[in-house]
Amino acid sequence: MAGLELLSDQGYRVDGRRAGELRKIQARMGVFAQADGSAYIEQGNTKALAVVYGPHEIRGSRARALPDRALVNCQYSSATFSTGERKRRPHGDRKSCEMGLQLRQTFEAAILTQLHPRSQIDIYVQVLQADGGTYAACVNAATLAVLDAGIPMRDFVCACSAGFVDGTALADLSHVEEAAGGPQLALALLPASGQIALLEMDARLHEDHLEQVLEAAAQAAQDVHILLDRVVRQHVREASILLGD
Amino acid sequence: MGRSRAGSPRELLASCCRGGADIACFAASDGKLLSSDVTHYVIPDWKVVQDYLEILEFPELKGIIFMQTACQAVQHQRGRRQYNKLRNLLKDARHDCILFANEFQQCCYLPRERGESTEKWQTRSIYNAAVWYYHHCQDRMPIVMVTEDEEAIQQYGSETEGVFVISFKSRRERENESQESHGKEYPEHLPLEVLEAGIKSGRYIQGILNVNKHRAQMEAFVRLQGASSKDSDLVSDILIHGMKARNRSIHGDVVVVELLPKNEWKGRTTALCENDSDDKAWGESPTEPMPTGRVVGILQKNWRDYVVTFPSKEEVQSQGKNAQKILVTPWDYRIPKIRISTQQAEALQDFRVVVRIDSWESTSVYPNGHFVRVLGRIRDLEGEIATILVENSISVVPFSEAQMCEMPVNTPENPWKVSPEEERERKDLRRSHLVFSIDPKGCEDVDDTLSVRTLHNGNLELGVHIADVTHFVAPNSYIDIEARTRATTYYLADRRYDMLPSILSADLCSLLGGVDRYAVSIMWELDKTSYEIKKVWYGRTIIRSAYKLFYEAAQELLDGNLSIIDDIPEFRDLDEKSRQAKLEELVWAIGKLTDIARHVRAKRDGCGALELEGVEVRVQLDEKKNIHDLIPKQPLEVHETVAECMILANHWVAKKIWESFPHQVLLRQHPPPHQEFFSELRECAKAKGFFIDTRSNKTLADSLDNANDPNDPVVNRLLRSMATQAMSNALYFSTGACKEEEFHHYGLALDKYTHFTSPIRRYSDIVVHRLLMAAISKENKMEIKGNLFSNKDLEELCRHINNRNRAAQHSQKQSTELFQCMYFKDKDPDTEERCVSDGVIYSIRTNGVLVFIPRFGIKGAAYLKNKDGLVISCGSDSRSEWKPGSLQRFQNKITSTTTDGESVTFHLFDHVTVRISVQASRCHSDTIRLEIISNKPYKIPNTELFHQSPPLLKSELVKEVTKSVEEAQLAQEVKVDIIQEEYQEYCQTKGRSLYTLLEEIKDLALLDVSNSYGI
Repeated sequence: MAGLELLSDQGYRVDGRRAGELRKIQARMGVFAQADGSAYIEQGNTKALAVVYGPHEIRGSRARALPDRALVNCQYSSATFSTGERKRRPHGDRKSCEMGLQLRQTFEAAILTQLHPRSQIDIYVQVLQADGGTYAACVNAATLAVLDAGIPMRDFVCACSAGFVDGTALADLSHVEEAAGGPQLALALLPASGQIALLEMDARLHEDHLEQVLEAAAQAAQDVHILLDRVVRQHVREASILLGD
Repeated sequence: MGRSRAGSPRELLASCCRGGADIACFAASDGKLLSSDVTHYVIPDWKVVQDYLEILEFPELKGIIFMQTACQAVQHQRGRRQYNKLRNLLKDARHDCILFANEFQQCCYLPRERGESTEKWQTRSIYNAAVWYYHHCQDRMPIVMVTEDEEAIQQYGSETEGVFVISFKSRRERENESQESHGKEYPEHLPLEVLEAGIKSGRYIQGILNVNKHRAQMEAFVRLQGASSKDSDLVSDILIHGMKARNRSIHGDVVVVELLPKNEWKGRTTALCENDSDDKAWGESPTEPMPTGRVVGILQKNWRDYVVTFPSKEEVQSQGKNAQKILVTPWDYRIPKIRISTQQAEALQDFRVVVRIDSWESTSVYPNGHFVRVLGRIRDLEGEIATILVENSISVVPFSEAQMCEMPVNTPENPWKVSPEEERERKDLRRSHLVFSIDPKGCEDVDDTLSVRTLHNGNLELGVHIADVTHFVAPNSYIDIEARTRATTYYLADRRYDMLPSILSADLCSLLGGVDRYAVSIMWELDKTSYEIKKVWYGRTIIRSAYKLFYEAAQELLDGNLSIIDDIPEFRDLDEKSRQAKLEELVWAIGKLTDIARHVRAKRDGCGALELEGVEVRVQLDEKKNIHDLIPKQPLEVHETVAECMILANHWVAKKIWESFPHQVLLRQHPPPHQEFFSELRECAKAKGFFIDTRSNKTLADSLDNANDPNDPVVNRLLRSMATQAMSNALYFSTGACKEEEFHHYGLALDKYTHFTSPIRRYSDIVVHRLLMAAISKENKMEIKGNLFSNKDLEELCRHINNRNRAAQHSQKQSTELFQCMYFKDKDPDTEERCVSDGVIYSIRTNGVLVFIPRFGIKGAAYLKNKDGLVISCGSDSRSEWKPGSLQRFQNKITSTTTDGESVTFHLFDHVTVRISVQASRCHSDTIRLEIISNKPYKIPNTELFHQSPPLLKSELVKEVTKSVEEAQLAQEVKVDIIQEEYQEYCQTKGRSLYTLLEEIKDLALLDVSNSYGI
C-alpha cells in the first residue's frame, strides 16, 4: 500500500478539509453549577471539559501565596477512554505535568492576576476524547471557563495547532496527521493584540518555513476567536433571558 | 476513532457550485475543465481504474470523471507506481479528465453499511456520485458509468434515466497465466524486509541493471548505487551472467544482487558479436574474471512502454498451434521477448506496436504483456521515427488548446505591442544601444543578442541580452508544465519538436532584427584598456535588435571584407551615406567585441584556468550542425567570440544566483574524469607516437593540440573524440545537494557555471531566469514573486532534465542512424560507387576492428573472422578474401594468418577500404555493416584524395532520404491513410513553423529541377 497522502494534488486533506480549514467547533459554557466557571468544547472529535474555581484563598501551604498577584494553578488530565487504546493515566505523569505547566504559562499571560493578590485560581481540564490538537482544545475550553467564572482577562486566549506537509502549512491537525510524524506547532494567541501567549514546537523545521506555519496557526487562532466570541455572546444572551432582565 | 468530517459544509458546497449556471463541469482545485462538446461523460468504476488505466490514458477518450473513491482504491490496492500514473494523468492538462472528491461532498458521501463489503460500498458510492453529478449538470449531460461488476449493472442499470451503467467489453480476452512448465524457471525473489536487511548488513548489493546491448542474452552489469558503493570495496560493476542469474529483472530496474563465490566469477568478452547470434562467439577466451553475482530481488521495476514487432506469418506457425499467445520481439535488444495474447497477430505483423509488461512469474520463461497501440508500418519513416520517440519516452503531442490560450497573440490584425507597464519597469535600450545577433544562417529562434558601446567616462560596456521567456511563461501555468515535461527541444535528423509553441520560440521570444522585444540583460562595465570588469548590472530590458547577422557575414566584416554587406538585408534599403555610417558603427562593435572576448579568454588562461578546447561549445555547435548545414570545418573566430560572451554571461549569472540563494539554485557541473578511462586514449596515441598527458585539463588540452599528424588530420579528430568519450557528461544539479568543491566545471575550467542563454530551447535556462529575477528582487528588498523550488524539488527537476537531455541525444543519434541506413539501403553495395569508402581503424577487438568513416561520419565494426570461422587475408593486389586461418591480437595491432602462411596485419589508425551495406532487421533498427575489402586506403577513381572531396553533410543525406520517401508516398497514394494519421500526431512542426515551411519550399524547388531535367 502506498503511504498515506496527507495533502492530495487537489488540495484536500485526509478528512476532506482544505489546508487552512478548521474542524467543526461546538462549545457550551456553564455546564456545571457547582464550579465558579465551566465549559465544554468539541473540536472535530477532540472533546475537552474545563472547570475554574476562584479566585479564592490559597489552599494548602500559605507560603505559596504571591504578594502581588494571584497564583494560577492548572491541572490537566485525560480520560482513560480518550484514545484509541485504553490506558490508565495516573495523575502527575510526565505528559500531564507538562501540559499543566503550559496551560499555566498561557493563562498567567492572559488573566489580570495583579487584581487578586495573595489568592489562587484553579483551572482543571479534562480531555474526554483526543483526536489531535489536545493542547488547543484545552486552552480554548479553559478560556471559556475563565470567562464563565467572570475572572478579568486581557483578552480571549485562542489556541490552534499547525503542521507542515509538502511545502504547505496545515491548520488544526487531526490525530492522523499528527501521527504521520511531521513537524507540529502549537500556538496560543491573544487575538485582539496579536500577542503570542505560548508557542511550542518540538520537531525540526527549516527556518524558512517557520513563518509560513506560524502564519497559518495565527490565522486559525483568529478564526477560533470568532467562533468562541459567538459562543460567549450566545451564552450571555441566554443567561440574561433566564435572569428575566 | 471515527473519521473527522469536514468542518464547514458551506465551503464544500461553494466549491461544488463553482460551475455556475453554465452546463457545469468543474475540477476540484486547478480549474481544469471538462470539455462540454462531448456526448457524455464517463465515470469508471474502481475496478476499471485499477485494471484498465492505460485504456483511460488514451487521449481519444474524453470527459472522464475519476471518483475519489476509485482513486483511493488504486492507491491502497495497486501501490505507488500505478497511483502516480493516475495522478500524472489528472495533472496533465492535455487529458480531458478530472477528479471529483465525492467522499468530501455532502450529498455524495455514503457511509459504509454494516456487513457491506468494501467493493460493494465503493461501487455504490461511485454510482451515487454519478447520479448526483448527472443532476448537478441539470440532467443535460448523460453519464456513462463503466464497471466490471455484473451485479451492479443489474442493480443500477435502469435505476436513473440518463445514467447508464455498462461493462467494459474488452475485445481481447484477459489472459490467464499460462503455465508452460510446472517446474519453476526462476528462483523466487526474496521478500523486501530480507532484502533491506541484507543491504544494510552488506550481504547484498543494490544497483541498477544495465544489459549489454550486444550480448543481451548473456551479459548484464549492475552499476552500484547509493550506500552500498561506499561501504563495499568493489570498484567495478558486477557482472550478471545469463538469464537465470538475472532472475526476471529487466534493463533499468533497481535490483539487489548477491555476489557469487570467487571461483564462479567470469570475465567480460571483448569480441565483436552480432546481436542475433546468441552465443556463437562464446568460444572466445574472456578477459580476467570480474565480480559476478545473481539477482535476488527487485526493489523498483522501471518498466516503460516498449516497441515490439510481431513475428511474421511463418514464424507464428512454427510457434505451435497455440497461436493466441505470441512471443513478440522488442525493438530494444536489451529487453527480453514478451508474451502477448491476442488474436490479431496476423493483422499486426507489419506494424511497430507498443506493448506494456504486466507481470513476470517465476514459472514463466518470458514476461507477460499486453498490446497498447500501433505506431506505424515497419520501415516506414514516420513509423520508425515514432518508434525512436517511444523508445526514448519522448511524448510530443501538439500543444493543447488550454495551453495555447495562455499564449499572447501576434497576428497582422492584432499585432503584439510592448505594454506601457512593462515599459515603465524595464530599462529601455532601444535607442541607447546598438544590439545585434550573430547566429547560423536561417536560424529563427534567436535567443541571444550582444551589444557593446563606449560610456561617457571612456569605459566600455558589454551587454548580453537574452530573450525574456519567463515573462510569457508563468510558473506552473499549463505551458510551463508542458515545457518542464519536455525539458528541451528535441532535434531529430530531419525535424525538431519544440519545447515552447512556435508563437514564442519563433516569434515573440525570438530576438529578431528591427522589432521590439523583452529581454533579460547582463551588462558589464569594462575598463577601457585592461578590459577589467568594474561593474555588472542584471535586469529586465526592452531591446530592438538592429542586425540579425550570420556567422560568415560577421567574420567577413571582422576581416574587413565589406563586400558582404549585400548579403545583409538591413543595409539594403539605405542610401549610401547612412549606410556607410551604420556600417562603420557595426564593424567597430564587432571588432571591439572580438577584442574583449580575446582578452577575457586570455585573462582566464593567465589565471591558470586553461580550458579544454571548447568541449561544451563544440557540442552546441554540433547540435546546430544537424539543423543548419553551414558550420564550416574550421570554426570561425566569431564563433569563439559569441561563445565566450555566452560563457561569461552564464558564469556571472551562476555566481549571482548562487550568492543570493546558496542552497537552491540550478548550476551545471562537469566532474573531472577518471584517469583509468584515459588509458585507451593514451595507448592509441602511443601507437602513433604521441604522448597524451591527462593529469589536468590544461595538460590534456595542450598535448591534444600537439598530437597532430600532418599527413592525416583524422587522427587528431579521433583522439579528440576519444578524449571526449572518456570524460563524464556535464550535468545539472542543485547546489543544496553538493559540496561547493564539486560545483567545478572541468571542461570550461570555471568554478561555477550554469545555463542561462537559451531559454527558448532549454527548460534549465527558464529555471535560471526565474532564479535571477528572484535574486534581483531580493537585492532590491522587494518581495520575491512566486515560490522558488526547494532544494529537494530542484534535485528532482535536475534529474528529470538530465534524463530528458540524454533521451534527446539518444533520439538524435538513433534518427541519424536511421537516415544513414535508409540512405544506403537502396544502393547495391557491389555496384554503387558511393558504398565503398575510406575508413580509419580506431579500436581493436579480438575478432575484428572498429572503423571510422570520415566521409559519412559513421563508426562501425568490421569483422576479420566471419561466421564460418574464416579469416580475412589480403593478397598482393590487396583485395581481401576469406580463407581458413587464425587471428592474433596485440596491444595496437591485429594479425590474421591463413593456413597457407599468408598474413596481414592491421594497425591502429590504418586506412583501409570498406564496403558499406545495410543489414536489414525486421524487429530492430537496421544497422550499417562494414566489410574490409582492401587493406590500402581507398582511391577515388578520378584520383582525388578523400579529404578533398567534400564530406557528405548530414543534412544533405537527410534531404535525399526524405525526398525519396516523399516520392514513394506520391507513388502509392493508397497507403497514405495510415501515414496521414501518424503525421498529425507526431509531425508537430510540419506546417506550423516557418522553418519547416521554408524547408518544404526548398524541397519542392529541388523536385522541380529534377523534373525539368527529366523533360
